Amino acid sequence: MAVYIQSAAQITIQSPLCDDWFTSPIRREGRYFRSVEPDFKAFIDPMASRRMGRLLKRAIASAMTALDGYEAPLDAIVTGTGLGCIETTEKFLNAMLRDGEQALPPSFFMQSTHNTIGSVIAQRLKCHGYNNTFTHRGTSFDCALQDALAQFELNDISSALVCANDEMTEDYFQLFDQIGYWKAEEVTEAMFHHPTTEGSFAGEVSAAFLLNTQPTQQTLCRIEGLEVLFEPTDERFRQAVEALLGKADISREEVDAVVCGYNADRTNDEVYTRRLTPLFPQTTQIYYKHLFGEGFSASAMGYYVAATCLKRGEIPAHIRFKEGKTAQPKHILVYNHFQDKDHSIALLSC
Amino acid sequence: MGIICGLGCGTQAVYDALRAGKPAIGTVRHLRTSHTELPVSEVAMSNEEMIEMLRLPSDRVVTRTPLLGMVAFQQAVKQSGLTDAVRTAFVNGTTVGGMEKSEQYYLDFFEGKHTEYIAAHDCGAGTEQIGRLFGHLDAMYTISTACSSATNALIMGANLIKSGKADAAIVGGTESLSKFHLNGFNSLMILDHEPCKPFDKNRNGLNLGEGAAYLVIETAESAQKRGATPLCELSGYANACDAYHQTATSPEGEGPFLAMTGALSKAGLKPADIDYINAHGTGTGNNDLCESVAIKRVFGDHVPPFSSTKSFTGHTTSAAGAVEAVISILSLTNGFIPANLNFSSAIEESGLTPVTKGVGDVELRHVMSNSFGFGGNDSSCIFSKIS
Repeated sequence: MAVYIQSAAQITIQSPLCDDWFTSPIRREGRYFRSVEPDFKAFIDPMASRRMGRLLKRAIASAMTALDGYEAPLDAIVTGTGLGCIETTEKFLNAMLRDGEQALPPSFFMQSTHNTIGSVIAQRLKCHGYNNTFTHRGTSFDCALQDALAQFELNDISSALVCANDEMTEDYFQLFDQIGYWKAEEVTEAMFHHPTTEGSFAGEVSAAFLLNTQPTQQTLCRIEGLEVLFEPTDERFRQAVEALLGKADISREEVDAVVCGYNADRTNDEVYTRRLTPLFPQTTQIYYKHLFGEGFSASAMGYYVAATCLKRGEIPAHIRFKEGKTAQPKHILVYNHFQDKDHSIALLSC
Repeated sequence: MGIICGLGCGTQAVYDALRAGKPAIGTVRHLRTSHTELPVSEVAMSNEEMIEMLRLPSDRVVTRTPLLGMVAFQQAVKQSGLTDAVRTAFVNGTTVGGMEKSEQYYLDFFEGKHTEYIAAHDCGAGTEQIGRLFGHLDAMYTISTACSSATNALIMGANLIKSGKADAAIVGGTESLSKFHLNGFNSLMILDHEPCKPFDKNRNGLNLGEGAAYLVIETAESAQKRGATPLCELSGYANACDAYHQTATSPEGEGPFLAMTGALSKAGLKPADIDYINAHGTGTGNNDLCESVAIKRVFGDHVPPFSSTKSFTGHTTSAAGAVEAVISILSLTNGFIPANLNFSSAIEESGLTPVTKGVGDVELRHVMSNSFGFGGNDSSCIFSKIS
């Protein structure tokens, strides 16, 4: 069954709930950026808002925006989040370590479980359908998407909201700094093109995608398929790519671009080159983490960028990483990996 | 299938304890907490003992959640005879992840000490450590829906196989006790200071437990091809959302109702076909009442025998769905219904009485297992004898 991305919404370190990043991106050169937040009043009443951590508010606002104007029933809500509401988790942890194991605030604990996000969205929508949450590091969103796609394939669902949500608190930024996730110096755009050191820069991503099986005027693109792989051999990777292209009945030459999760980390970026060069030596490559930063939910923006390019029929210069042919894009591969362990590759078409 | 929990290590030990009616609810030994007054169901082995048993290097950076997982995972893989010649996915449910060490070293992390445990904190980190015990996995997934995580892992694995995205899957969950969630549950005031009394009128909360369990699932065709004998059929499953409250179930038990009816419908079974329900039955006022209401909505006046084995194992949270799936399959294959301990009088609103003494020599064809999580993430599955 064909699955379409009907709408998508994002709250990231670019202008929120719009596609200004496509035409007039905010240049992000530094080590750590927090999301640009919209006015949440339009989505959440102030009383409820006070009890919610930031990530929950972003999750609701992005989900409601993606669902704007959608009236039909929603069969599934699937969330990807590497760390869940880490801000509230830290609050509970800090209170416990500071004040001891007595009289701790239950509200922080209640919001600390990873599935809080998906369940709050369900409560908001009164959606009794399928609800699941994936917490698999840098491919959390990809796993969530795979869950939804498997159920579309089985005709168990005909609509789904698939979301990605991660925040980067100051404490967590420091912790990840301790283990080399971030560069010591400010990350510049030039470093993406010539990475000489390890590490990236931190961003935050909340993204929501509405998927269903009926194309409309507003449809962004079709999802032809997705392969999620663990430490694939070159042969397994090639097989997965061929399977995706075979299903859509297109050749490698017909792929207009590959979206890659380049993040200015030398080791990370080499993987894309190594895996893609033999298969797509001449194909245009798109990058996006220079706009959105790195984090466990960042991969979702790869799909977002690809879907937007397909809908608008162009790939703007500021996201072109490597120039190939310049035709109006019809087929875009989205390829992400996390530490060369978890890989995901999807084909989107219009 | 493989299992480790308070009752013991391995399916035989767990079955023997259930059969003997011997619960494993006791006092804290391994967890560093000041709440020694709270009964818990801990796994007897220490981290060091598990590291030794698994023959891991003694300096391996590994936390208790993946260690428990590795023990159960190895048993499951061994029993199944599955190898990486089959395209296999691993779907792991956990919520605590590496919190057991993070809560110990959190302040040290900022001073650059014990930083090796920072990358071991998130849920996916443990999945990878466990999965590496298998030759080559084709894909790994981590699910975290609190107390229904492992059941949702089972459902995801089944969907991956049915949709052709995997030929076999190792599914389940693992969770160690942590000071973080013990205090979290305590702050919600839902921990009983005595052994829990699921479905009893005077129930007073749950006891936390820890453990891990995994199942190897595949199509009948795949099993036949490699000459494996399946233990049972996963005939039905469903996931629904109560969409009511973050930590409480709706009075009408809508989520549990939808999960149970969805599983029946997927299995093509009538309520009367279910011979035993391994209930979620945490022992909290809210869960047991709402689950009872939902059971009555599904089964009417003909509620099948049911029990909550959390009175033996404690609530193993993210692992519970898999721990209880293993117990359900042991029930099915041995014709044995385990007891719901510590029950004396029925909840007035429902009048339901669980099985209070283990019953042997019964013919069970279809067993339902319920797992309901915070956030109203409710799932049920049905295991059936192969006809």
